[in-house]
Amino acid sequence: MSLHFIDWIWHVRGSLALPAGQSGDDAFDRLDSLFCQDGTVHQRTGGTLRFSKKNQAAQDKMSVFDRGHLRIEKSVAGSALHYCLTSRALLFCFLAPFLFLGIAQLTIFVNQSYKTKLEPAKASAVVQMNPIDKALGAPAPEPEPTSDAERLLKAEEKKPSPTAAYVFAGIFALLYVVGRILEDRLVKALFRKNLLGSA
Amino acid sequence: MDGVLVGKRVIGAQAPVIVGWDNIPKVQGGPVKQFIFTWFQPTMLLALVAFWYYAPNSIAKASIAVWFGFCFRMLLLCLEWVNPRYESWRLTWKELTTDLFYVGLAYTLLHVADYYIGSDAMADAIGHYFHQDKFAWFTGLPLLVQALLIVVVFDIGQYWMHRGMHSWYPLWLPHSVHHYITQLNMNKGAVGNPTELFLIGLGIGGFFDFLPRAFLIAGAFRLGTETYQHINVRFNSPRWWRYVFNTTEHHSLHHSLDFESTRSNYAPSLIVIDRIFGTCVDGEAELLGMEGGRRMSIREQMTHPFTEGWKAIRGLVPAAVSESSGLGKIS
Repeated sequence: MSLHFIDWIWHVRGSLALPAGQSGDDAFDRLDSLFCQDGTVHQRTGGTLRFSKKNQAAQDKMSVFDRGHLRIEKSVAGSALHYCLTSRALLFCFLAPFLFLGIAQLTIFVNQSYKTKLEPAKASAVVQMNPIDKALGAPAPEPEPTSDAERLLKAEEKKPSPTAAYVFAGIFALLYVVGRILEDRLVKALFRKNLLGSA
Repeated sequence: MDGVLVGKRVIGAQAPVIVGWDNIPKVQGGPVKQFIFTWFQPTMLLALVAFWYYAPNSIAKASIAVWFGFCFRMLLLCLEWVNPRYESWRLTWKELTTDLFYVGLAYTLLHVADYYIGSDAMADAIGHYFHQDKFAWFTGLPLLVQALLIVVVFDIGQYWMHRGMHSWYPLWLPHSVHHYITQLNMNKGAVGNPTELFLIGLGIGGFFDFLPRAFLIAGAFRLGTETYQHINVRFNSPRWWRYVFNTTEHHSLHHSLDFESTRSNYAPSLIVIDRIFGTCVDGEAELLGMEGGRRMSIREQMTHPFTEGWKAIRGLVPAAVSESSGLGKIS
């Protein structure tokens, strides 16, 4: 099966028109500093630049990408830079909601597997408030529940809830959408800035 | 690099660090900005403690405290954009996503593990042997005193656990991956191997379950102090604050590339504990991490303690293992 229909999930592709008169070599020279980072290796062959990154620093402006290639293509309208970049971070973020949905199901399963045991009710000890707290107006503590139903409800409330996992599944789904759009724009702006900037 | 002699130790011989408060950069800007970033921390601490002290019983619950902490952290994330300490620590999408993955694990999988086999289960098992009546002297104390005692006891426990992690190789293995972070951001405290987070969660918190109000105030106290360990915000913390509480400055030294600096500032909230035990160094570092500052991937963070532990067990050149992890010496 071809992955071409789904690989947009972890690939960022795009193109930029080179300024008039800028050659392919000149363009790659201007982009060179982006690939001279710790953990990055790159190779230029003809009109193509290939790179890969390992353990890239957080401060690396292209840290979200792990490998890719950039290509200069000439046409009647002029030269253009075409790029295809691969990001494991984007793929990971896309899959993370499924992981957290799985964790939510696991939480439900574990909670159902462990029946709540009720300890024998202790003699109701009334917690005395310190006079300083009374004077400062702190709310009086609630008495401990005495009925089995109330104590069972309280014990059930203490159990881990799957809600947190659902919330994180939602957060990562949102993060993916934001990241897929943001990183696409940021890398395009980065290339444009370098291509148009002073050499 | 010569480094600076602090007590009997030379700090900053391996990587650049700033030693001494007078040498640390200050908040730049007008008087309003200076005022806000000087008094933000004490004001928020007071507000957090006052909120949980006076909150009605209907909202003084652990579940609401979780959302409260979430909102406070969101506010601090906004401050990271407004007044960053270092541009090189700027939060990127990838760093935020990575950090939130660990936060997510802590709130979900680790929470389940803590509840059924970790600190909560331990507290539940041991708690049956205690009689609540015998703690009447404690529960009769003013709430703020109870909360402060909880914080002090918790901090001393965490201090020795953390110091143990930096001194004993089996405990260092799970903790080491946390030291590969190269930035301090709001959620970086959660970055680490889950086994470490599970271990460090084996505190005594669960034992205070019978004191919900005091426990919530203690939690607010920690939220208003400990949270600043990992954050990219420049504050002009008042002199008394940085004498008593752990700060980003202290913790950046603890995470620096300089080995000797990492063996300092262990307490989570009360840096005064480090002062008492002689491990406090006042200063700051921008360059953080291990092995020259290489970033460790999530996959490696998950496996590193086990692969390195396996190497150590097999006795494959122990000295080389310690050098590659930057530990220096296996004790």
